[in-house]
Amino acid sequence: MSTLEIAAVTKRFGAIDTLKGIDIVLENGEFLVLLGPSGCGKSTLLNIIAGLLEPSGGDILIDGRSMRKVHPKNRDIAMVFQSYALYPNLSVARNIGFGLEMRKVPKAEREEAVRRAAEILQIEPLLARKPAELSGGQRQRVAIGRALVRDPKVFLFDEPLSNLDAKLRTEMRTELKRLHQKLKATIVYVTHDQVEAMTLATRIAVMREGRVEQIGTPREIYDHPASLYVASFMGSPPMNLLEGRVSANGDSFEAEGGSCFIPIPAASRSTLGPGRPVIAGIKPEHLAPARSDTRSTLSMDVEVVELTGAETLVIGRTGGQTLVASVKPDDAPAIGTPFALTAPADHVRWFDPDSGKAFPA
Amino acid sequence: MSSAWITTRAWLLMLPLLIVMIAIVGWPMVDTVRLSFTDTRLVGTSGEYVGLANYAKLLTGNAFLGALRTTAVFAVFSVAAEMTLGVLAALLLDQQFRGRSFVRALMILPWALPTVVNAMLWRLIYNPEYGALNSLLTQLGILSEYRSWLGEPGTALWAIVAADCWKNFPLVALIALAALQAVPRDIKAAAVVDGAGAFARFRFVLWPYLAGPLTIALVLRTIEAFKVFDIIWVMTRGGPVNSTRTLSILVYQEAFSFQRAGSGASLALIVTLIVTVFAGFYIALMRRSGSRA
Repeated sequence: MSTLEIAAVTKRFGAIDTLKGIDIVLENGEFLVLLGPSGCGKSTLLNIIAGLLEPSGGDILIDGRSMRKVHPKNRDIAMVFQSYALYPNLSVARNIGFGLEMRKVPKAEREEAVRRAAEILQIEPLLARKPAELSGGQRQRVAIGRALVRDPKVFLFDEPLSNLDAKLRTEMRTELKRLHQKLKATIVYVTHDQVEAMTLATRIAVMREGRVEQIGTPREIYDHPASLYVASFMGSPPMNLLEGRVSANGDSFEAEGGSCFIPIPAASRSTLGPGRPVIAGIKPEHLAPARSDTRSTLSMDVEVVELTGAETLVIGRTGGQTLVASVKPDDAPAIGTPFALTAPADHVRWFDPDSGKAFPA
Repeated sequence: MSSAWITTRAWLLMLPLLIVMIAIVGWPMVDTVRLSFTDTRLVGTSGEYVGLANYAKLLTGNAFLGALRTTAVFAVFSVAAEMTLGVLAALLLDQQFRGRSFVRALMILPWALPTVVNAMLWRLIYNPEYGALNSLLTQLGILSEYRSWLGEPGTALWAIVAADCWKNFPLVALIALAALQAVPRDIKAAAVVDGAGAFARFRFVLWPYLAGPLTIALVLRTIEAFKVFDIIWVMTRGGPVNSTRTLSILVYQEAFSFQRAGSGASLALIVTLIVTVFAGFYIALMRRSGSRA
């Protein structure tokens, strides 16, 4: 049986449809990330799962039980908020144990649960302090501890790392991943950060304007984006999207402005069709410098070279369109020179410029 | 620019204000102190130096202690009622409901009324012959015959407390509402998810945000209540049988009704001293909340 089922959930605020029918089924132990820009409805959906908002239509089922008219406290969920939402005048220990205290759990049992949660999160020395005496990272641990101690069916996280600085964010991300692996908890996690989504999720639901644009494992979403929207959202830098058309004989792609030739695999030729306008999606890391003995498929005029550490980003233009390639530092060309690249045909994704959807591979 | 010049310039800029303050507050204050050691009458000859006689007579007489007791009763009960009603009103107005802005605006009206107008309104309501309160209570069957609310020593002070409360609870409500609106939404939501009931939510979520502003409101209202004059003067003039005679009313009677300027001055200074203690408490609170921020 599924742990959490989001069934045809809609939400209207006045004249605005914030959620336009969301269906997601979550199995026990899954880590689902709702990913999308602000205003896509992801936080609204999380609040509906928590019971803080009523859906306009549809239902939430936890362990098969309808949550319609069920108060948040009776839903067996725990929530971690972006702003930590700690009670300012209570000690860390009481903050963590607050949910249990309100549920009249006996004191000894409560203290044991708080101690265990604090041990997992390594915040035992902080238990006597007040939230104002903690750093951002420590506060976030306390907020997570407050959820942990309840041992709920479903954990809900609302952009929990976005108030932390970059270094701490990376650390907490790893910590959350470790926690999930250890506890095998079912988690719904909202973020607009695709790196967080990629690293944490077992499944990602990319949301756009109140709908799920694509749902799948991080690999599926990353390697096979279903639309231009997903392709441009995932990866840093994201996929190159080159406008052009299929050649007259149907066996290759010609980018607008020329200087590009990508063979189309035999399997895709029938769906694309000769002369048809298409958009070719190529990941920066799939572009490799052309060897002298191979036929180059792309050539760009190098404008900027950025060393990011393990790899170097080469940014330039090909026939008026911007192109980014990620290459080894030793392969980086000089600025202002032409740079010949190859793109393996089986790694290129094809999109329909009219619908924005990917052609089936 | 040297720091000495900055200091000098600051004093120069403040000088006009200082002169005005000394003229309208400082000098009368000093003169009141001088008066309080004399038996000066309001009209006629200037008085003789009598030392601490005025103070001795006041502190041992019944009038002062009676007025002090009346003032304390008035202050404690009116402020307590205003605080309770104000917080309850703020909790209501913090809820989402249709017409909330309208009700919020409406609530401020009593506080915006001049005290004298408010006092006149309540005198009408309490009128022993055609007052609305008598009419209401007899029609509801709570009262068998009309009463003179302001004419009986047993009810006059409480009638004024109610009128003062009606006028001043909106100020407390306004301050409390502003504090409630500063409570982060996430914390309120967290408490709901944590299963906190209405009382626990008030105690653990709202109270930490209310406590500071409410303490300031409490001290300010207490100072005001200790100085109360106008509402009582309009409604009862301190009567009946001195049952509503507060310290300020007593000062007025001494100095102007009985024309004893000397003893009126000594009484005024005692009232000033009491209010200064509260004011000192208020300043200490402000300093503490200032250093915390």
